[in-house]
Amino acid sequence: MIRTPLRPLARVLKARESGENPATIEAENKRRRHDEMHDRAKNRAEGRLLVLGAVFFLAFSAIGLQMGAMASSEAEEPRAIASGNPIIGQRADIVDRNGRILATNFDTYALYAQPQQLVDPEGAAARLAEIFPELDAERLVKDLTGSRKFVWIRRQISPEQMQAVHDIGEPGLLFGPREMRLYPNGPVASHVLGGASFGREGVDSAEVIGVAGVERQFDQYLRDPANEGSPLELSIDLTVQAAAERVLQGGMMLMNAKGAAAILMDVRTGEVISMVSLPDFDPNSRPLPLTTGSQSDSPLFNRAVQGVYELGSTFKIFAISQAMELGLVGANTMIDTKGPLTWGRFRISDFHNYGPQLSTTDVIVKSSNIGTARIAQEIGADRQKEFLTSLGFLEATKIELSEAPSGRPLSPKQWSEISTMTISYGHGLSASPLHLAAAYAAIANGGTRVEPTILKSNQLQQGPRVLSPDVAAEAVSMMRQVVVRGTASFGEVPGYEVAGKTGTADKPMPTGGYYEDKVIATFAATFPASAPRYVLVVTLDEPVETSGTEPRRTAGWTAVPVGAEMIRRIAPLLGMRPQVDMADLTGVTLTSN
Amino acid sequence: MSYLEYNAKYVPSGLRKPLYLNWPIVLLLTAVAGIGFLMLYSVAGGSASPWMEPQVKRFGVGMAAMFVIAMVPIWFWRNMSAMAYAVSLVLLLYVEFFGSVGMGAQRWIDLGFMRLQPSELMKIASVMVLAAYYDWLAPSRTSRPLWVILPVLLILLPTLLVLKQPDLGTAILLLAGGGAVMFAAGVHWAYFGSVILAGIGAVVAVFQSRGTSWQLLKDYQYRRIDTFLDPSNDPLGAGYHITQAKIALGSGGWTGKGFMQGTQTRLNFLPEKHTDFIFTTLAEEFGYIGASALLLLYALIIVFCVISALQSRDRFSSLLTLGIAMTFFLFFAVNMAMVMGLLPVVGVPLPLVSYGGSAMLVLLAAFGLVQSAHVHRPR
Repeated sequence: MIRTPLRPLARVLKARESGENPATIEAENKRRRHDEMHDRAKNRAEGRLLVLGAVFFLAFSAIGLQMGAMASSEAEEPRAIASGNPIIGQRADIVDRNGRILATNFDTYALYAQPQQLVDPEGAAARLAEIFPELDAERLVKDLTGSRKFVWIRRQISPEQMQAVHDIGEPGLLFGPREMRLYPNGPVASHVLGGASFGREGVDSAEVIGVAGVERQFDQYLRDPANEGSPLELSIDLTVQAAAERVLQGGMMLMNAKGAAAILMDVRTGEVISMVSLPDFDPNSRPLPLTTGSQSDSPLFNRAVQGVYELGSTFKIFAISQAMELGLVGANTMIDTKGPLTWGRFRISDFHNYGPQLSTTDVIVKSSNIGTARIAQEIGADRQKEFLTSLGFLEATKIELSEAPSGRPLSPKQWSEISTMTISYGHGLSASPLHLAAAYAAIANGGTRVEPTILKSNQLQQGPRVLSPDVAAEAVSMMRQVVVRGTASFGEVPGYEVAGKTGTADKPMPTGGYYEDKVIATFAATFPASAPRYVLVVTLDEPVETSGTEPRRTAGWTAVPVGAEMIRRIAPLLGMRPQVDMADLTGVTLTSN
Repeated sequence: MSYLEYNAKYVPSGLRKPLYLNWPIVLLLTAVAGIGFLMLYSVAGGSASPWMEPQVKRFGVGMAAMFVIAMVPIWFWRNMSAMAYAVSLVLLLYVEFFGSVGMGAQRWIDLGFMRLQPSELMKIASVMVLAAYYDWLAPSRTSRPLWVILPVLLILLPTLLVLKQPDLGTAILLLAGGGAVMFAAGVHWAYFGSVILAGIGAVVAVFQSRGTSWQLLKDYQYRRIDTFLDPSNDPLGAGYHITQAKIALGSGGWTGKGFMQGTQTRLNFLPEKHTDFIFTTLAEEFGYIGASALLLLYALIIVFCVISALQSRDRFSSLLTLGIAMTFFLFFAVNMAMVMGLLPVVGVPLPLVSYGGSAMLVLLAAFGLVQSAHVHRPR
């Protein structure tokens, strides 16, 4: 490095020697030094500026390029990433025996809010409260203005409601597509179908789960994608079911009953063609379970399956049939009916005094408790228990409804002789109307056991034989006599040969003993008597018929007329033709000449 | 060392001063503000209220302030630098301790006619004080450690106060603006190199430590970083702004949808549509052409500032002009980068376009200083 002295002494000395003014040399030197310094600073500053300029340029380029990239990109709507497994939709339909829809799916939307995205939460809450009057407005305001990130507003909304919410124009109110279960026939067959509700719920879909009836019983089948397109076929006939509900509804009102049940069953296949329980409900909006009182008063309660009642005199036919099967009595054997019959501290009496003796047929026709009890004594406890077990009376029915196991019959722990006698006329053993229908079907079909089913089946059931065909036929003809000249005389429906048996059982008090004025009235019938095809059981809970001078509660006045009306309405729907007796043709000759 | 002492030729004075204003910059500022007025009119759904009208008034006041400041000699402002910095710092401390009136923390002081944010003042005051510092400091000492620590403290003190508010955007602007002045003043490369290396090291350490026992940040902070790096992870939550802005830019395309035709902003999909995210409205309605036109206007303002700084032989003037240009650049670069997802959302307005009083007034006052430096340059 060449070091230059601060002052140009050599030049100054030389200038002095040559007589020049050294001050100009000093001044020139000073200016040169300052210029050098300035240039150095300027160079450095320019270098720095170049770097800054490069930074500016890079930043501008980055922004410009990004802008171009975004301008040429396709706008994409943001979507929340589906969390977890997608919930499988497409639950299978449920159809009746003729393929008519009982339950299907319906595309709808759920409404939810993301309060963080709401522009005007309070305004939105007010508008929502107008659209959905059932929502709690204050709660809505609190939810939407709070710190929550997600609020369900409605699980399912109608298209009109959706449009109204859309018109609010809030970006924070969002719709999630989902499927819901739709029961297009409303309350028809409500207890059979049960209902469905939402299980796991997502924004994009929701799981539909069956909560009662066949929806619950066949939940796995209905949601199994492997059964794609194949609906669940029930044995129910939609037309018959609807007619039966109308008739029973009317009968229940006419007889001032608080509840009613009816079952129509094919005696050979065990298919339940119609099953009604009143009061009923709309499975599209299942009511909440009762919080007070007995669940058996809830509309959700299926009286036909879950309701176990003492079914009264309808049981007498079992004792008589068994006695005939055992050869203890014949149809015309005379039975001692002198009353009252005392057994220990118990007294058994009849509704009327039927005199000292009745034939076996007349014990059924007139419904004599004393006569039946005497026959039951002959049968004995063990054989009676065995026979009733073979008819299915000691265990819950195996019908494919989720409620079936709760319809377990109540039978005495000690099957004493007095139990045998009371059970023979329908007290001391409680069973559901469905039990009764199945047992009557076993008699009506010629003596083989049938298990009731809710699924369509075209196969005859080959159940174990419980009665010989002769005895079964005899029992049916006795029941025909009940309608022709006995307690069920209102049950005659011309052309359909109705055979049946009435039963009027006093309702037990929760404290023990029986009510004087509350009964369960039952009419169990089969038709046509000459070749039985169907069994109909009609049960009314606490009926009172008040058209006469004093209230009448016996089944002959209450359940029987309702049952007859039902047969009159549904027999044509079942495709049955009335067997009209030919008019007497005497005196008229049809000839062609 | 000031070069004013040497080679003094002619300095404009009196009524001649306006002739020597940097008129291109005045025109460019007006053009940018004009774009801002249009956007505010559009965002309000075709109405001058509630945003355009006050913005026009503020722009008028700001331009008047700019002219007044420009007429005052630059050496007066150099002498005022330390005072301006001290006053800004006191105000910053004041809002720190007394600003929390009513709900939440308050960043401003209510002057009656406007709300003054001391942090905005500080952006300019810190540039002024650094420029004055390096004007005073002998160039030979610029890189001495002791003389480097002092300006670093001058930058860090207000930055930490602003970070506490918390206002990450302003803190970044203060840090980068001050750093730019130091860099332009000629502080040795090694200081900047070491700071940048330390920054890179910190970022690497933060990412490397994730999931280990010595994890530096909390889990939620990592999630925020994830969302910044890929907003589609959380399109309806933290990534919402970015996603919506991207939709706006994407749907604008190259030529845009037309004035007042932008749906993203008009339908309220975007929060902050009239403030920090107003750029999306521009991009949606005027497309790539409109957006790059604004970018070009900004670039021209920077270019004219840099030319003015280069022409000036006065150290304070050049450094001040460069520092203000840098601050202005940071404003719109950070805002645009943030809107386009290149940077996290930190809350920096688009200068002269976003609705807001303090930022506009302070920026125009800063350009008044630039003009003053330009006018009072010896020629």
